[in-house]
Amino acid sequence: MPYTAPRPSPQQHSRVLSGGGAKAASHGASCAAVPAEVARHHEHAARAGQCCSAVVQAIAAPVGAVWSVVRRFDRPQAYKHFIRSCRLVGGGDVAVGSVREVRVVSGLPATSSRERLEILDDERRVLSFRVVGGEHRLANYRSVTTVHEAGAGAGTGTVVVESYVVDVPHGNTADETRVFVDTIVRCNLQSLARTAERLA
Amino acid sequence: MAEICCEEAKSTPATAVAAASVSATAAAAAAVAVASSALERRRRRLEMRRFRVASDPEELVAEDVRAAKRQRLARTLSGSCPDAGSDSDRPALPRYGVTSVCGRRREMEDTVSIRPDFLPGTSKHNFFGVFDGHGCSHVATMCQDNMHEVVADEHTKAASGEETAWKGVMERSFSRLDEQAASWATSRSRDEPACRCEQQMPLRCDHVGSTAVVAVVSPSHVVVANAGDSRAVLSRGGVPVPLSVDHKPDRPDELARIEAAGGRVIYWDGARVLGVLAMSRAIGDRYLKPFVSSEPEVTVTERTDDDECLILASDGLWDVVTNEMACEVVRACFRSNGPPAPAARPNGVALPAAGAGAEDGSAVVKGVGKEDSDKACSDAAMLLAKLALARRSADNVSVVVVDLRRGI
Repeated sequence: MPYTAPRPSPQQHSRVLSGGGAKAASHGASCAAVPAEVARHHEHAARAGQCCSAVVQAIAAPVGAVWSVVRRFDRPQAYKHFIRSCRLVGGGDVAVGSVREVRVVSGLPATSSRERLEILDDERRVLSFRVVGGEHRLANYRSVTTVHEAGAGAGTGTVVVESYVVDVPHGNTADETRVFVDTIVRCNLQSLARTAERLA
Repeated sequence: MAEICCEEAKSTPATAVAAASVSATAAAAAAVAVASSALERRRRRLEMRRFRVASDPEELVAEDVRAAKRQRLARTLSGSCPDAGSDSDRPALPRYGVTSVCGRRREMEDTVSIRPDFLPGTSKHNFFGVFDGHGCSHVATMCQDNMHEVVADEHTKAASGEETAWKGVMERSFSRLDEQAASWATSRSRDEPACRCEQQMPLRCDHVGSTAVVAVVSPSHVVVANAGDSRAVLSRGGVPVPLSVDHKPDRPDELARIEAAGGRVIYWDGARVLGVLAMSRAIGDRYLKPFVSSEPEVTVTERTDDDECLILASDGLWDVVTNEMACEVVRACFRSNGPPAPAARPNGVALPAAGAGAEDGSAVVKGVGKEDSDKACSDAAMLLAKLALARRSADNVSVVVVDLRRGI
């Protein structure tokens, strides 16, 4: 199966309108191919001063191979090339609530990140983590990654959706924040595709 | 003057033809040497890495006897040393000094390459390169190992030493190194791992790159090619003359080029391409193409009697030391060391290797051994690195100082 270029990331954000309450943002377009029970994980309630986005990546490998890489909360560097090393805080096994400390490679505007596992659903193939510390400018970052069969009965095709919500840092715009984070996420998902296609 | 006459005598057409055929043999021999020593180099690199971890040294300049021997062999094969048995016929070495320190960063990702007399069939062209890696070290290491050979190859193909030819030679060389970086993982041998990427991610490593500032110093010219934010500065009559201009994303012409290509420069801890990378040109970094280009800016500067030195360094130095201060430090070291001594050793005998550690190759500086360097230049390079550390540079610092004074 030939490599498929990633689709353009649907960029969405919501802000509190004057006098209005927070409003949920939904990635309707990108979630069209995602089962309903999983799509809800990609609905982020973005508050004022936050933005959200999603990146979609097609991968020519079985869904099981892709998920086996994505689900390794203790070893994100297997496909996230910007991570130099990762260790679980307090050791032990991976479970919801586990916290990992990752160190970032040189050249990036970040040094480390401390991240808490929020969802690890092997049945629906959903992984979510929240950034709870570290040296970077992405405050209150929360990410959801889901892995799906591409189309009914395709057999070997997989679609990965990663969406996130994050505070817009002081001095930047929501659009700039999305450009920065989407670049990192897209690079990660492209290397995930290469890693999984090699495993398959 | 006598030396100049000898050079003219050597450049007869017959000699040129012979040199051309010999250079093919030299290239083949070099290829074999490189292949057979790849494993050894990896081992030495690993040993050096362990050594750094164990002892946490700040200075990483070490001898590479094998590289020096290979260099001498290459010179002999290239015909520039017809009497292979005698060191006294070896062309005068350039007067240079080099220092590389890890500094406050936890990993060393700078590399330095110094290749005296590196052009087959053309004498007295010396290659100096500083490569500041990011994301990992293997692109900078690849530039250290290959850039001089690619430049020599492109120079041979250009078949002309004229000034205008250097721009094309350098542009093609940087492009070839950029392609090598992209295909690095697939073309590497299946030997033991040499860096983190090889251990974990044996396919493409699009997120790794390196700056490259390269200088070719001949008796008449200094050619500089630069991509990234390392820098080359000439000191002429006490006045710094920049031979390169840093490729920062917010440099007006770079900003315009990036935006014309559909990219963006975002201020995220400084100006960064897509908010990610703090330089607008580099070898590698495939994921940021075409915004981060590997095309070098090339300058060809005619040498004058007022020229004092050439300084090549990574941004670990230039972020905290001005061109003016760097040139003043070098001039002070030159004054305290007196007039330049002849580069060739008395009686043409190289000084003995510095005892223990002689077998260790340098993971950071390649092409020459410590005994080849010049004291005044070494003092200057060391002092500049210490000054950068004292000023709290947050990065690796690599400095090469080349003495350009004419007095011998």
